[in-house]
Amino acid sequence: MKRRTFIQGLAALGVVGALPLPLSRALAADIANPVSVDNLPKLKGDLTLYLGRGEGGLYENVLQAIQKKNPDFNLAIRRGPTAALANTIVAEAKAGVRRADLFWAVDSGAIGLVTDAGLAKPLPSDLSAQLQPQFRYDQWAPVTGRIRTLPYNTSRLTKDQIPTSIMEIADSDLSIGWAPAYASFQSFVTAMRILEGDDKTAKWLKKVKKRAKTYAGELGVVMAVERGEVDIGFANHYYTLRLKSGKPDAKLDLAFTEQDAGCLVNASGILTLNDDPLATNFMRYLLSEEVQGYLAREAYEIPLVNGITQPAGLPSLSDISPPKVDLTQLADLRPTINLMRNNGVL
Amino acid sequence: MALLAALITITPVYILITLASDSSTLFDSHNLKILGNTLSLMGLTVLGSILIGVPLAFISAYVHLPFKKIWLVIFAAPLAIPSYIGAFTLYAAFGPGGEINNLLGFETPPMYGLSGAAIVMTLYTFPFVMMTTRSSLLSLDASMVNAARTLGMSMTQSVFKVILPRVVNGIAAGSLLVALYTLSDFGTPAMMRLDTFTRVIYVEYNAFALGRAAMLSLQLMVIVGFLLLIESQIKTASERHGRPLVLFPTKWQITAMIAAFGPILLLAIGLPLAIFFVWLARDGYSNFDFSIAWNSAYASAIAAIVAVIVAIPVAHAALTGKAGRIMERVTYFGFGIPGIVMGTALVYGGLQLPFLYQTLALLIIAYMLRFLPLAVGSIRTSTEHLDQSLIKSARVLGASPREAFTRITLPLTMRGIIAGAALVFLESMRELEATLLLGPTGFETLSTYLWRVYEAGYFGRAAIPGLLLVVISACGLAIMMSGEKRNQLEH
Repeated sequence: MKRRTFIQGLAALGVVGALPLPLSRALAADIANPVSVDNLPKLKGDLTLYLGRGEGGLYENVLQAIQKKNPDFNLAIRRGPTAALANTIVAEAKAGVRRADLFWAVDSGAIGLVTDAGLAKPLPSDLSAQLQPQFRYDQWAPVTGRIRTLPYNTSRLTKDQIPTSIMEIADSDLSIGWAPAYASFQSFVTAMRILEGDDKTAKWLKKVKKRAKTYAGELGVVMAVERGEVDIGFANHYYTLRLKSGKPDAKLDLAFTEQDAGCLVNASGILTLNDDPLATNFMRYLLSEEVQGYLAREAYEIPLVNGITQPAGLPSLSDISPPKVDLTQLADLRPTINLMRNNGVL
Repeated sequence: MALLAALITITPVYILITLASDSSTLFDSHNLKILGNTLSLMGLTVLGSILIGVPLAFISAYVHLPFKKIWLVIFAAPLAIPSYIGAFTLYAAFGPGGEINNLLGFETPPMYGLSGAAIVMTLYTFPFVMMTTRSSLLSLDASMVNAARTLGMSMTQSVFKVILPRVVNGIAAGSLLVALYTLSDFGTPAMMRLDTFTRVIYVEYNAFALGRAAMLSLQLMVIVGFLLLIESQIKTASERHGRPLVLFPTKWQITAMIAAFGPILLLAIGLPLAIFFVWLARDGYSNFDFSIAWNSAYASAIAAIVAVIVAIPVAHAALTGKAGRIMERVTYFGFGIPGIVMGTALVYGGLQLPFLYQTLALLIIAYMLRFLPLAVGSIRTSTEHLDQSLIKSARVLGASPREAFTRITLPLTMRGIIAGAALVFLESMRELEATLLLGPTGFETLSTYLWRVYEAGYFGRAAIPGLLLVVISACGLAIMMSGEKRNQLEH
């Protein structure tokens, strides 16, 4: 998210109108500039990383590049389903064994499980200072963002026909594709619960279910929207962008809601279980200019440090104001699952 | 020894009990529908597996074919392919917009829902029935059939009246394995959008509610218990060991067999590999580390040997009394637990032995725990109907129980042992969750590599590991089957 969005958020509170320009620049100066890998300390030693599902294998490229740049550094990687790895870390801690030094998860819910168990070590403040203020957490660092979107079929609809409020979507007559079992969707419903309350969320789920088709995953949702099986879908932004990069003439485009759970920005995150500064230095590499720029360009993920260009195809985020939600609260999935189950969605 | 084995295999279930929380409601109307789906899928898959597996067992056991070894390996090969990979490729191939449509132009019906899931599950589990039935068939004496024929019965009649009733326990043992595998599988129903019990378990697991996932898995064990009860009611009479039947088919019959079963095998093995190679051609080749294949091969081979060594006393115990039968049945529970829940239970278990945790040894133990029923079932069914008089005469002539076992029983059951080892080898090759969680960090097998590229969407890269999986499994099978030669009394 660019700093313009942060300032737009203030505008919503009627503050910016009175702020002189130099102050806004001072606010921007609170976010440290991203560091280039050439200025980062060299890594020496051994670390074990538990990696939950790397996005398109591109995380592998990042890890390989880091290892290449640091020949004295040995990184052992255990890959697995994110929830399984989170459970494994908790189990290991309960047994007093620690094998993982780092845990890189693609959704903040898994991070929340580990931090709630008190296993994550606090991060140095200069590391968090590189991130946008709403993404600063004591115990973990978000790496890249993903925004909830409404992919729509361009041959069936135009953008103005799509409501900009997620709650209104339930009342419109559009056919919807969704993947209720998908972790990001459940995080989105959790955010809706936090912002709008359980009752409104339950009503929303009931109404949408009547016009929704279920798919196994959000890639399936986006593919279905493109094929014209449904008008719109609920999916993370990068599926659409990746599909379009492979198929430039796809009848697919992105629509966004405004200031509600429908445009939630979630993040993949990394935490460390080890006091060793080697681990936090490794994390600095993930927040470096080169890595953030690479992930923005190739994986279409949203960089969370300052000064990196947004992924191509994602419109300027000054038009969207994502809601302010503490991402670790999204780990509280039990009430969400119950709500979805009681309303026949899961 | 058998008691120890039974206790060890029940450990994961015990761990699940300690993990399980008690606040889940199973029987509301939504879950009943899911239960119905699960049971229907199980029933259809067992039916399909019997319809395909039994004739193929017959062909591979009795029919005289050139290159017999190769045929057997091909028939069993679908067991090498992880069912979620099979489900995915078949889902991508069929239906409007599927690959077959894109490449060949004509539309095919989509693979979807209960029918799609049943077809896919049948294709990747029928070898269970085939292998156990085959080893049963091979220990039947041909003289009964010959007597029936001389008394005027036609071949077909004698198959149904003389042969099949005597291998019912072999078929039942294989069907039990098919049912348990279907019960615990997640990938296929998820891909085919069929709402089954495992989906509920996975939703809970992925929502970090491990306690609930454990509880629901334990509730699944109730179904397993029923299945075990049903299977234990199926018995056959004991008889003397003798020479198996040999049938010489005519050219017309050979063609008919190929026409009937060729498409099934092509669909099970040929189609997934073909789809991957199409995607490989589309995406372009990238480097593949062949040492991964070696990892798969030796880990599975060691697991097969260990499982069989442990299985022999268990199967033996099952034949010597009620307590033994119960111990043997107990080993089956682990096979019905969904993979990811089992993997996590084994992590908790493995952590109790920190020096073993995340070592290859623990992984082999995990494979053994999961797949012991495969070995036990095969061995038991090939020894069940052995006439005890052979052993009794050996004892009368002065042999100790151990000597009677090694010199009489063991050679006669070698076929079952080898079939059991083969099944464990194949299942270990395609096992995923335990390998991911319990293997040494950085230990990659073909199965985990396939999962990685599948999750990442690099489908073209699945072609080579997929092919290697089938080839290595086939080679392992061929080696094991050649061990049978030493014990055959004829051809």
